[in-house]
Amino acid sequence: MGVMAAVGGDGDGELVTPGELLGDSSKMIAGRGAYVAPNGRSVRASLTGIRRVTHPQPDAADQRSIVEVVGHKAHGAVPQPGSVVIVRITKVMARTASADIMCVESKAVREKFTGIIRQQDVRATEIDKVDMYLSFRPGDIVRALVLSLGDARAYYLSTAKNELGVVSAQSIAANHIVSRQLLTVTVILRYC
Amino acid sequence: MEYVDSLTGFRLDGRRPNDMRQIRGEIGVVAKADGSALFEMGNTKVIAAIYGPREVQNKGQQANNQALVRCEYSMANFSTGDRTRRPKGDRRSTEISLVIRQTMEACILTHLMPHSQVILIEFLVHILLKFFMYFLPKICFLQIDIFVQVLQADGGTRSACINAATLALADAGIPMRDIVTSCSAGYLSSTPLLDLNYIEDSAGGPDVTVGILAKTDKVTLLQMDAKLPMDIFENVMQLAIEGCKAIAHYIRGVLLENTKQLECRRGI
Repeated sequence: MGVMAAVGGDGDGELVTPGELLGDSSKMIAGRGAYVAPNGRSVRASLTGIRRVTHPQPDAADQRSIVEVVGHKAHGAVPQPGSVVIVRITKVMARTASADIMCVESKAVREKFTGIIRQQDVRATEIDKVDMYLSFRPGDIVRALVLSLGDARAYYLSTAKNELGVVSAQSIAANHIVSRQLLTVTVILRYC
Repeated sequence: MEYVDSLTGFRLDGRRPNDMRQIRGEIGVVAKADGSALFEMGNTKVIAAIYGPREVQNKGQQANNQALVRCEYSMANFSTGDRTRRPKGDRRSTEISLVIRQTMEACILTHLMPHSQVILIEFLVHILLKFFMYFLPKICFLQIDIFVQVLQADGGTRSACINAATLALADAGIPMRDIVTSCSAGYLSSTPLLDLNYIEDSAGGPDVTVGILAKTDKVTLLQMDAKLPMDIFENVMQLAIEGCKAIAHYIRGVLLENTKQLECRRGI
């Protein structure tokens, strides 16, 4: 089910678990997520993740390649200004709506990021007539654009574009509503 | 009582002497923890949660040049047949906490953790030099907390706890020497039996709990509180080691499947 990187000749891209033998210390240097066993010969993995091998420069003094294991905790997606995110609305107030960021582009985030959609950022026209309570409801899944890093607490988000807005919602009668226009992004939401 | 049927050779629960109970592991069951896992061995069900590496809370406990590993074992009131209120920190749970802590300490690369954190202090020393950057290394010690709770007890809880803790540590992304797994074996009705359940455990026979580092073939835990002739003990221990290896194989499968799923979710 996974989309895995191609497995190279030296096992690059292979998934490994702690204790697995990565190579011989005469040919490999242990990088992050790897260690040299007490016998001083074998290089073993210390994390679960993908094995990466970096080959040395041809003119380097040490001709051994560096092997490292990139764990899943190592890199999480982080929202940046300009990136499109999928958020879940947590609270709606008169002038703002707060939301939890769940996906950045197509990647699920690891830790919790909060965002705020301000009244003036909900739509592009008639920005002073926006009623937040009619625009969002807690639990709505919204596609938004990150405007700025915001204050210390939350990112500033915007839905003022045609391709942005509520993607999936639940009506008071508990019927599931999915925006036809934005349907394509719901594929990602299965994993959130 | 006959623990192994003399006619069929089956045990009370229908297993053969060297059969293990069904095992199941699940990663990421506690949302707030840095790593968590659920591990089942038959009817024994254990949950483990890892918090950390985080800064040492009690400065008096910090060890020299390595991370502090703490472990707390507890049994839910409803985990056994008779519902009893258990005091926190009784002799049994203190002992098992210690056993689990020592076993996990042996596999965590604790020496990597005394994280030498560099903090930057900007000093305005001279107008011409404007800013001076002073690098002051500040050693900050880290601790890892392992919480294991028995949800359902049916013998072999300490083995299940160690297996759950291993899965949770791997989930937390804590560097480990190897995957440490544990399994018990006993000797009843002149037969070595793998993975004792509660009835067999309370028969009073010898119960050997073994913990090994599967890939590097090292023993990190060996417990037995009975007397057993040397040759029989070796057989029983060998049986437990085979059990550990089978569990390690399963745990690796769980970890790989979990990593694959995470990669897929991230859209790589």
